[in-house]
Amino acid sequence: MKFPRFTRKTLCIPYAVFLIFFVIVPMLVILFYAFTDDEMHVSFENFIKFFSDPTKLSTIVYSLVIALVTTVVCLVIAYPVAYILARSKLKKKFVILMLFVLPMWINFVLRVNALREIFNLLSRSPALEWLADANYFKTVFGMVFDFLPFMILPLYTTITKIDNSLYEASADLGGSALTTFSRVTLPLSMPGIMSGVTMVFLPSMTNYVVSDMLGNAKVTIIGKFIYDYFGNDWHMGSMIALVLLVVVFLSTWLSGGFTSEENVRGANL
Amino acid sequence: MKFRQIASVALSAALLLPTLSLLSGCGGEPAITLRVYNWEEYIDDGGEGSYVYDLALEEGADEDDIVAPSILEDFEQWYFDTYHEKVKVVYSTFGTNEDMYNELKLGNEYDLLCPSDYMIMKLANETKEDGTPYLEKYDESFFDKSDPLNYYIRNVSPYIQEKFETNAGLNTPEGSPRWSEYAAGYMWGTTGFVYNPEAKVEDGTGNFVELGKFLEEHGWQTFVHPAVRNKITAKDNVRDTYFAALGVAFEEELLALDRSADDYIERLTAYFNATDEKTIDRVEPKLMDIKKNIYSFETDTGKADMVSGKIYINYAWSGDAVYALDEGEAGEIDEKTGEIKEGSQIFLDYYVPEAGSNLWFDGWVMTNGVTERGTKKAAQAFVNYMSMPESAKRNSYYIGYTSVIAGENREMLDYTDWLYGVDEEEGEYYDLSYFFGSEAGIYAEEEQRTSRQLFAQFPPEDVIARCAVMDYYREDASERINELWSRVKAEMLDAWAIIVICVTVAAIALFTVFVKFGGKIDFFRPKPKKGYHKVN
Repeated sequence: MKFPRFTRKTLCIPYAVFLIFFVIVPMLVILFYAFTDDEMHVSFENFIKFFSDPTKLSTIVYSLVIALVTTVVCLVIAYPVAYILARSKLKKKFVILMLFVLPMWINFVLRVNALREIFNLLSRSPALEWLADANYFKTVFGMVFDFLPFMILPLYTTITKIDNSLYEASADLGGSALTTFSRVTLPLSMPGIMSGVTMVFLPSMTNYVVSDMLGNAKVTIIGKFIYDYFGNDWHMGSMIALVLLVVVFLSTWLSGGFTSEENVRGANL
Repeated sequence: MKFRQIASVALSAALLLPTLSLLSGCGGEPAITLRVYNWEEYIDDGGEGSYVYDLALEEGADEDDIVAPSILEDFEQWYFDTYHEKVKVVYSTFGTNEDMYNELKLGNEYDLLCPSDYMIMKLANETKEDGTPYLEKYDESFFDKSDPLNYYIRNVSPYIQEKFETNAGLNTPEGSPRWSEYAAGYMWGTTGFVYNPEAKVEDGTGNFVELGKFLEEHGWQTFVHPAVRNKITAKDNVRDTYFAALGVAFEEELLALDRSADDYIERLTAYFNATDEKTIDRVEPKLMDIKKNIYSFETDTGKADMVSGKIYINYAWSGDAVYALDEGEAGEIDEKTGEIKEGSQIFLDYYVPEAGSNLWFDGWVMTNGVTERGTKKAAQAFVNYMSMPESAKRNSYYIGYTSVIAGENREMLDYTDWLYGVDEEEGEYYDLSYFFGSEAGIYAEEEQRTSRQLFAQFPPEDVIARCAVMDYYREDASERINELWSRVKAEMLDAWAIIVICVTVAAIALFTVFVKFGGKIDFFRPKPKKGYHKVN
């Protein structure tokens, strides 16, 4: 009897099986539900309804804005941190990095709940009373709080990997610190930025735990919308999910365009 | 290195152990598996704070010695002792009726479910896609009072049984199934406002009034009154909040109804179940006002927010109200003295709007196929076990809701008396005959009779008389209401805002595309083969 040869390809089988059952099949199911009606006939009704309903368009645009703001804020905070950490000669910078990543080890619901209580405490003082009503602010704050490590880590890895001789070369050729940053560091850390952006942007469009708990469920992002629709109308819910999928696909495809493949390595967590 | 190896072997062994024990567990004698699907936090879980535990504590037992198992474990034991068969309860929970319905629709198999009134009706009226019904009727013998093991029918309050037999007076179409064919009651109650009576609000004229008075004066309008802005919560589900918005929109009409008329309850029920376009047009702006005025839409944070004093009013189910009242009353215990810290207690009240509110019932139903699966006997036994006065006390004590059980010998009345009753001289008579039968009642203090736990658990008959049961949304109504809800929950952007944002996003996208392809159109060309590199 001859056993099938064990090759490296064999190692892919578990992943392939996983991919088929947990990615491809569910995707097909969503596609199926999105384009059928209650009697399971093919129908484009949901498609038309989605794009003619200002509520749904509004919600998806709102989520987009929230996600964009979250991403930008995360980037603005994370880049300097990652840069300083990566370029400094601190002996224990690993510890400092850990401090930023540590929150990820604590249960996420717990952290959001704690933040909610902090906001409530703060809004009791007269000067900060506006906080009680600032549901959008609190939602974005929570998202930033939650996703910041996902931005810092890939940035840190890419910036550390930049060859020191490049900085030296830049200095040799008379480049100022600013020029070095804009012509060397920034372009070379682009893969890190992109993978950080993807990892923050996508979940912040759908993470409705944050918007429910910090936005007092008065902020409805697209993820919550899908959840609500799945309570009673799977077909519409699937259609919204599908539209979101297209948006996500487009943004990933576009952002992938900034990098050539060999640079991405290591930056994609 | 060696240590690491040993450690890793030990760790993996430890991980494997539970699997092994599971495997060996399968080898034993065959047990029936009863899959029960119930609301979250809706059954006695045992441990600290449970009825058994607290009772033992009161009798002077040592904290560490008390064994208070969950009621499910006790059921399994009881079933074995009674029927000499093993049963294994697989218990899972859901958060909303709709979640449960979806699970069923997906084809997940459960034996026993605990939906609310309208969902019982929906399930009883609908069939699955393959034409089989969702539910299975109870055996006729289940309702035979002569069998001592039929705890449900022997102990259930006649008031509840009457409601279940008449579908609680809902105007259901001719030939509709009765609840009692498919369902045995579990808990029941009303919805209303939990409020902090000590909080004072400015009522717009510069006067500060107590919240109790304010609620009496404004009823449902409290939801949209600026005086309680950010101090009130609504439920984050369409059923309860639409109901509340109906109350806000139709309060005047509801108050104008003639209470003594024969058709009062029918008309009240019709108002609270209206789903036509005209009604929705009137309710929608009210829902928007509610959204603007409330602190949050919540599903389970309301209780804690009340107790912490963050909000003054919480629209809640009566059982949750009792829970919040109990929690507030308990306060914080000082570790050193063992006494309640001063000022940590908060005494909350419960109020049911004058214009009418919701009366609801949750009941056990069996899914279709329990006979084939051989679990019907166990399912009915489960319901019977839960209906023993002792079990009803345990569940009710643990979750705060009111059991449908009265008890053959009015055990639940004694229990209620034990909880809330006082001596004859100290309180006044509180009539509970509607629930427990003639001449039933207890003596209680005024607060208990009018606004606290006793009132929330067993509202007086005249309060119940102005409460309506919810019907399920039939086909097209369901879509209308859901669309309405999505309009309420979503933030509506103006057309120009959408356009501006879309244009911005499109510009970013175009820019990216430009950067990506940089004017080169070689995107569609095949990529060079492996090993060759394109030279720019």
